[in-house]
Amino acid sequence: MSIFFMLLQVVVIIMLAPLFDGMARVLRARLQSRRGPSDFFQTYRDIQKLFKRGRTVPECSHWVFRFGPYTLFGAGAALLAVIPISYNAGSLASYASDIFVVLYIGAMLRFIFGAASIDSGNPFAGVGGSREQMLAVFVEPVMMSSLLVVMLLAKTSNLAEIQMLVQNGDIGYQMPAFAVASISFLWAMYVECGRNPYDLAEAEQEIQEGVLGEYAGADFGIAHAGLILKQFAMIGMFLTIFEPWTFENSFLALIVFILKAGIFYVAAVFIDNFGPRYKLLTSFKSNAIVALCVSSVALILYIVGV
Amino acid sequence: MTQVYLIYLVGCVVSLLLYKKNNLAAKVGFSISAVASLIGVFYFLINIGETSTYNFSEQLLYSPNFTLEPVGNFFSFVISLIALASSIYAIQYSQEYEKKGSLAVMAFLFNAFILSMLLVVSASDVFWFMIYWEIMTVVSAFLICFNDSKSSLKAIMIYLGVAHFGGMCILSAFLLLASQSGSLEFSSFTSVEMSPLYASAIFILALVGFGSKAGMFPFHVWLPKAHPAAPSNISALMSGVMIKLGLFGIIKFCLWLPIQEWWGLLIVVLGALSSLLGVLYALIQHDYKALLAYHSVENIGIILLGIGTGVYGIAINSPILATIGFLAGLYHVVNHAIFKGLLFLAAGSVLFRTHTREIEVLGGLAKKMPFTAIGMFVGVMGIAALPPLNGFVSEWFTYHGMIQGALSEGILPRTVFTLSVIALALTGVLVVIHLKLYAVIFAGTPRDKKIWDNAKEAPLSMLVGMFILIVGCFAFGIGASVVTENIMTVVTSFSGAYEATPDGGFIASTLGNKISLPLITMVLVGAMTLPFLIVVIFRANKTKPRETDPWACGFKYSSRMQMVAGPFTGDLRRLMEWLFRSKPTVEDRGYFEPVVYTDKPKDIWWNAFYAPIINLTMYCVRKIGLLQNGSTSAYSVYILLGLCLFLVISYLL
Repeated sequence: MSIFFMLLQVVVIIMLAPLFDGMARVLRARLQSRRGPSDFFQTYRDIQKLFKRGRTVPECSHWVFRFGPYTLFGAGAALLAVIPISYNAGSLASYASDIFVVLYIGAMLRFIFGAASIDSGNPFAGVGGSREQMLAVFVEPVMMSSLLVVMLLAKTSNLAEIQMLVQNGDIGYQMPAFAVASISFLWAMYVECGRNPYDLAEAEQEIQEGVLGEYAGADFGIAHAGLILKQFAMIGMFLTIFEPWTFENSFLALIVFILKAGIFYVAAVFIDNFGPRYKLLTSFKSNAIVALCVSSVALILYIVGV
Repeated sequence: MTQVYLIYLVGCVVSLLLYKKNNLAAKVGFSISAVASLIGVFYFLINIGETSTYNFSEQLLYSPNFTLEPVGNFFSFVISLIALASSIYAIQYSQEYEKKGSLAVMAFLFNAFILSMLLVVSASDVFWFMIYWEIMTVVSAFLICFNDSKSSLKAIMIYLGVAHFGGMCILSAFLLLASQSGSLEFSSFTSVEMSPLYASAIFILALVGFGSKAGMFPFHVWLPKAHPAAPSNISALMSGVMIKLGLFGIIKFCLWLPIQEWWGLLIVVLGALSSLLGVLYALIQHDYKALLAYHSVENIGIILLGIGTGVYGIAINSPILATIGFLAGLYHVVNHAIFKGLLFLAAGSVLFRTHTREIEVLGGLAKKMPFTAIGMFVGVMGIAALPPLNGFVSEWFTYHGMIQGALSEGILPRTVFTLSVIALALTGVLVVIHLKLYAVIFAGTPRDKKIWDNAKEAPLSMLVGMFILIVGCFAFGIGASVVTENIMTVVTSFSGAYEATPDGGFIASTLGNKISLPLITMVLVGAMTLPFLIVVIFRANKTKPRETDPWACGFKYSSRMQMVAGPFTGDLRRLMEWLFRSKPTVEDRGYFEPVVYTDKPKDIWWNAFYAPIINLTMYCVRKIGLLQNGSTSAYSVYILLGLCLFLVISYLL
């Protein structure tokens, strides 16, 4: 039964995620005093249009590049599947929802991204692939220290169990380490989402997402949808650990989750619009150090046992 | 077990007897070792929980006594598994060395190398252990010799130098321990009473000695020099198996000595340092075999994290912590052997067909060598610990062991374990960058057209060798619960137990977390089929894609435009400048020639620890060399002085 819900949550989110992307685009256009898309369904129309187009691929590429979008989308969907939204601790599906599984499926996403970027033979794609890896180097220590604090407090790495513990109030914001960790984790999640000022997945001609520049037609549509899924999954991860409002009823839990995650997704536009994009090695580095300090504070708070 | 040993011995003798028939000797010699390894794999697996002893005839010196305990069985299994793949691979790979040396000797040394490793594991007293240990070192040094070149000779000297220093430390540790127990038999070493200081001295000596063999930081410098210099099937054995025997030694000593808490923490710290520095240095290598060798340093670090956790667990009397630590360490031992073996074999195939170790001139080989490409891809995914491959399972256990350790009371262990978890996570991220190893060699456009045109798929026996290890990568990942059960029989033989494999194909940590690898595999496979379904359901345009050059901003595309290995890690290199100390040089050869850009990062620890020692030795040797001035009369004076000295001594006594 839980496997069914796991499948259901993936399918439903895949269907609805472009809607929130559409909302975010409308809002962003309004904030920038542009007219923007006429309604919230523009992303669906984009993907639909892409599906109709013919494709080109670089001559030199092989299966790593050609199946890249599909594996990218697949990894994004797998991330969504292992986040316990509509199933609870103890059910069969929850034995796949482990923090390390999430982290390493995220690594798989980057792996595919980087390998496809070099395989395309495109110089911009290669640079983009390299930066994607560097981004992870900056983010991972922050993310890991925050999650480590949570795992140590909860004494488990199972996401479903952590969700339950936080909801029951066994661990939570009353613990200083947990509260501080939530701040640094929020930063890490935001960067992983691939949004401005750190990255902007929508601007595919930009260097960061250069690999998308080589995809066309259905391939590009799938890759684009895959990146939206990843963003959704990252937000979902934050909400599961730090804001779990799940319900016994799986359908209700799923609806509430999608609304919650959708609001976060759209609201992130407000951050998007401030300031220019950061340079990876200078501005971003100093930014990451602040986050690293915050997460270290959380870790120290745990170590001294506050 | 003696049957297995005997077949290897037969392999040695037969290959030597066929000395005149070079090609036949190689085929027969490597086939015999393949048969022996195949029997060994099953024998050691079936008897993994047993303790077996075998006595050689009483007439021999010390009446050698072989004992295989569960730990020994486990290591013998790992040796046989990699030896199996490596021997089958070598049947055709050895042709590469037809002109460089006698293949009969190579097959002989190969058999002897495997045999010596198996015997090291089964030796049961100090004397024979040291004999086999040194034979193993010398034989592997001879095998490196087959790549006869200036750099390989230097590599061998460094290897032997570090190995002998390590051997000295090991021997002193053994003798100090034997002086307390009063016997050279290993069986007498258990529960020997000694002062904490004395025990610590023995432990440090053993850790340095075995750690230098294992390639633990800061004794790792020989490894990236020696392993790339060896033929690839030997590199696979050296990197996959031989360095693990150092860990075997550390485990043995930790079980004999009265353990103190800080030993475990020290091993954990060294493990974290090895893994982080190993991967950082691996990232910037341009020689793909040196890159893989640095990766061994990293993986030894990960194994040490597990073993250190286990040792700490024994020290604080927490059998649960000890169990998961050793479980994680041993699991990673076999995993690393499999994927590193696979990577070295795949790298060997590339070398076999392209004759270059420089990563930057290759490219686009996946079209020429599709199977080797898959082998390398699976290997890189395994080493990056992506689920559902084997690396993921052992890292999961390692993380859980360290989290369990971080839950213990006390500021120091908490700090050490939490920081090590973060080091391991960072290592995990950095290892993912190793996709460049696959991507630059096999993907994109060929950078050197001539090499690409001459390349073709490796011959059959090499593919079979790789295939065994590819299957291993999947089997040891998806079948995690079966593997865990077997390793638990080993671990419980010297430590506590907990329910690590609950019913239903789960694996469990001491925290009570359960994950199911088959389920994760199903989720991944299911998720990967979704996009294909979507494409079908929404009737996407699936006409055959048009093939073009990559987009180059309107310029004509040239293969020189694409990403190579150096710039791919360029940002990281700039960030880590303090560690690499590289001095990029730009040589301008005039307007029409391409600019030559070189950037060779250094291993700063070489200058920090090794160069001073080497310089000091050279200085001393030069001073002592003055005595040998070539004049006969001076030598007679030395003899006379010596005589007088002895007379004085005898008079005084």
